Amino acid sequence: MYSPLPVTNSKNISTPVLKFTNVNFSWPGGAGLRNISFEIPKGQFVLISGPSGSGKSTLLRLVIRMEEISSGTIYLSGTPISSFYPPELRTHIGFVQQQPTLISGTVKANLLFPFTLQSRKNCIQPKNNVLRQWLNKLALDTISLDAPAQVLSIGQQQRLCFIRAVLTKPELICLDEPTSALDMESRECVEHAAEELIKQGTSILMVNHTSYHPTCPHMHLSVENGTVSVLS
Amino acid sequence: MTEFISISWTQLVIALGLVSISAIASLYYHLKLERDLFIGVIRTFAQLLAMGYLLNILFGLNNAVLVLIVYMIMTFVSVHIVYGRVNERQVAYFAPTTLAVMLSYSLITIIVTKVIIGAEPWWSPQYFIPIGGMVAGNSMNALSLTLERFFSELRTKRNVVEMYLSHGANYKEATEEIFRTSLRAGMIPAINSMMSVGLVSIPGMMTGQILAGADPQEAVRYQIVVMLMVVGSTALASIIVLLLVRKRCFTPAMTLVLTKDHTS
Repeated sequence: MYSPLPVTNSKNISTPVLKFTNVNFSWPGGAGLRNISFEIPKGQFVLISGPSGSGKSTLLRLVIRMEEISSGTIYLSGTPISSFYPPELRTHIGFVQQQPTLISGTVKANLLFPFTLQSRKNCIQPKNNVLRQWLNKLALDTISLDAPAQVLSIGQQQRLCFIRAVLTKPELICLDEPTSALDMESRECVEHAAEELIKQGTSILMVNHTSYHPTCPHMHLSVENGTVSVLS
Repeated sequence: MTEFISISWTQLVIALGLVSISAIASLYYHLKLERDLFIGVIRTFAQLLAMGYLLNILFGLNNAVLVLIVYMIMTFVSVHIVYGRVNERQVAYFAPTTLAVMLSYSLITIIVTKVIIGAEPWWSPQYFIPIGGMVAGNSMNALSLTLERFFSELRTKRNVVEMYLSHGANYKEATEEIFRTSLRAGMIPAINSMMSVGLVSIPGMMTGQILAGADPQEAVRYQIVVMLMVVGSTALASIIVLLLVRKRCFTPAMTLVLTKDHTS
């Protein structure tokens, strides 16, 4: 049975927003992640690093059940993620894919499409001024809300995907290399926006290749040889 | 019915000479089609002659159980052919395809024989089998196109589907656009054929009726019924198969079953 209750507000403030307990995952070929256990307190910035192909993206995909664990338990704010109806679980987590993916239509249509889904039928769509504020914050102030999104550069699309994920105000945001196609200035905009979200109580998991060190409280997870270790 | 010229065995053998054009082209241009051509000719003769004899027997016996058996065989063969053409290994679509063929075949054929033509009885083999054959054949083509497009779009647009899912979409929302594109792929050939019919060629069934001595006006009315029933049956079959197959492309955790690698 799926949990009918929202995970927020009903749990103690000390409950970690995300907890992995003895999690194992394997690909059909055999390799995967072994015996992963860690927990992330609310309002933490978590950087995930590791060699290419080590399973960093897989770790994020496990959180939103895009990949299924073979054993162990993953908890979101104290509730096992398997007890959520999957679309309901994903409304609690913002996810930004490695490759920016947009729907055909305007910038505004892209930003608001999550609010058109059945699982968010009771959510209120943000107004135009909120969308503009976010575009300005991420150095997209020259982009019109009515512009076709598909013609934007990859870097602009990447920032648009970031805004789309945070507009729904999730309690946890998973970012899979959200700044890979950005120049230094735009990268700082995204990192600054992410740190602001942390201050408001959101938790962020970010796969990142750069040597970025957040100024807010943060953790560092290293993924290597199928295991995950907490570095700080 | 007016007089018609019967085709003798000798004339049929002469007609066989027409195939030699293909055979010569294949040999001259090294197309390597000789084997297929040979098998094709043999099968055309064998299958159609067998069907001719079978229809003679069926029409003579006028037995409902035999009509039902023919219906089952035609359904099975159609499904088998769709399976061969689509060649998808990661999603089980045998049962949905069977159901789609069975439903479109029986429903549309019964409507045509009972309500439109008013055949008595409605399962009368002279009407039910040829009409059902056309329904099954066209549904089979529509199903192949629909399923092929659906699976290939799911693979090529995997990122988009996963993006929808990751934002909280259910499997229906995540595949809305792909569903529409695939349904169109299955329905368009039948709709397009309505546009060109009578302008470029005389359709097969009508040609047959006219050659067999029927009044062209009568043949036209039958042909119109056939065109309309094909449009209806291809749409019905495509909708049924997509509604049933779409869910099978997702796990209970609402993730895509199909991997990027087609064969794994």
